[in-house]
Amino acid sequence: MKYFSLIWKNVFRKKLRTTLTALSIILVLTLIVLLASLLQAMQADPSGGRGSNRLVVQHATGLGNFLQLSQRQRIEQVPGVVAISPETWFGGVYKDDKPENWIGQLTCDPDIYFDRIFDDAKIDPAVNAEWKATRNGFVAGETIAKKFGWRKGDRIILKGTYIPLNPELVYVGPYNAGDESNIFFHNEYLNQSNWFGANKYTGLYYLKVDTGENVPRVAAAIDKMFENSDTPTKTLTEKQFQLQFLEMMGNVKFLINGISLIVLFALTLIVANTIAMSARERVTEIAVMRTLGFGRGHILGFILSESVVMALLGGIVGVLIARFLFIPAVVAICNKTSLSVWMVNFRVSPETWILATVVSVGVGILAGVLPAVQSSRLNIVDGLRRVV
Amino acid sequence: MAEPLIRIEGLEKVYHRAAIEIPVLQGLNLAIPEGEYVALMGPSGSGKTTLLNLIAGIDQPTRGRIFVGGRDISTMSQTELASWRSHTIGFIFQLYNLLPVLTAFENVELPLLLTRLKRAERRKHVETALTIVGLADRVDHYPRQLSGGQEQRVAIARAIVSDPTILVADEPTGDLDAKSGDEILELLRRLNEEFGKTIVMVTHDPKAAARAHRMVHLDKGVLHADEMTETGSLRTR
Repeated sequence: MKYFSLIWKNVFRKKLRTTLTALSIILVLTLIVLLASLLQAMQADPSGGRGSNRLVVQHATGLGNFLQLSQRQRIEQVPGVVAISPETWFGGVYKDDKPENWIGQLTCDPDIYFDRIFDDAKIDPAVNAEWKATRNGFVAGETIAKKFGWRKGDRIILKGTYIPLNPELVYVGPYNAGDESNIFFHNEYLNQSNWFGANKYTGLYYLKVDTGENVPRVAAAIDKMFENSDTPTKTLTEKQFQLQFLEMMGNVKFLINGISLIVLFALTLIVANTIAMSARERVTEIAVMRTLGFGRGHILGFILSESVVMALLGGIVGVLIARFLFIPAVVAICNKTSLSVWMVNFRVSPETWILATVVSVGVGILAGVLPAVQSSRLNIVDGLRRVV
Repeated sequence: MAEPLIRIEGLEKVYHRAAIEIPVLQGLNLAIPEGEYVALMGPSGSGKTTLLNLIAGIDQPTRGRIFVGGRDISTMSQTELASWRSHTIGFIFQLYNLLPVLTAFENVELPLLLTRLKRAERRKHVETALTIVGLADRVDHYPRQLSGGQEQRVAIARAIVSDPTILVADEPTGDLDAKSGDEILELLRRLNEEFGKTIVMVTHDPKAAARAHRMVHLDKGVLHADEMTETGSLRTR
């Protein structure tokens, strides 16, 4: 601690150079925190772990193919399954094609959905009851309901895309859950229309298993049951189901990590250059300190510490900027688009704080190690001779 | 006869530049008793700064031995030498070599950071050293805010703050005007006479050398003359 003042003063020896280097660290760490937080948000479980005993059954070839409604009864009979609801992605257009008007539109079985499957979501019992009783009623995530300013009794019209149907729906009330970007309306509404899948197909099945331990067994049993049928299934946990959307975007994780590593490497070179310049300018001072009795270890420690302090300072400011400036701004912008579903968990988590700290210290050490070793090996007489 | 504080036997130093060997000191023998004030003189390239560096333990001889206070410093490792220097040697440079980012107080405090002294004790030592050199009122000044003479006095305070046995000075007045140079030489005399510091000073200036007790002349790495100055003669009478 007695050396800290010396280290601190040397960090700010050339204020402009330190400021410019710190700005590059801030910029990179802001970017890293943004990317890491975004990746984490995309991979996060919107239910916050409460959906661990929920399963999604989809067609084995993917979401592009339907399952048969007749499969419901057979799945219900698998030991451990306590509730099941068909769910179909309606994928219609609300108002127009503008991204800010995007809504997740899903149909389900209202008698079961919030009561027995998504029982961790919050919905007013009166709203739930009214929704069950209203064939053309819909409930909406509170966030999206507020966004469009819907009030009870408001009517909306969705224009079907792949399902040739333009449902006219009545807003019943909101629900609260991790993901509030969707609206839900009755599966029966689809079944009573004349699209080719009426009373025949569903997009997938959402089901609840009695205990978390039974989840793998139930998933395996369902897939086994339909493995040689016309509609083979692929049963996923809720989290696996979410991650599959991320995979649809390509290897995003690899891309983000790759970009981060390249940027970090470039940053390390920038900081290393700054520290090397600073050490080179101080050859005589370092020789003087060695003359006074400071050992090689002291010099190594000082230069490394300067590098780490600079990187850490930049890192902390970078995280703060990401946390309080960029992420709220990105969330505000994305909430107006179809990306809003990914914004639910877009925040700087404690893990990201730790990651940013480790990255900052790591950059500081990597950048400082070479100049530090070179300075510590300096021959005192050669160092003094530069001026004396 | 008492053992001299510094005893040099058969000292040789050879520098290597590519494949060429450059002998700087050749078979030098010298003894400096405790409390003596010695001026090392000689033309450029005579090896006086090299000898000073070897005595201060910042360079190591090619051959020969250097005993300081009975210890052979020519066989010490770099780590041992660093520790030895911190409490035995006070180094005064021609260009003062203060750290520009530190105040006068912090510059003087620097060697004490290597000790186990507490902050308050360090403060006391620094204030004493700055008072001795007459700069107690300049503690918060940075080197750029001081004159050359004042900078050199801060450097002397830094050299004496850990109470070393030996002060080595490499042309301490070489970068100063006559008046400031004179003040520095007077300060060195006081440190020698009042505080009993053994001083080894490299100088080109005969007037500065005359303030020492003894003048050692080097030429081409060989001891050319070793004579008592008038100051030294008066001292021994």
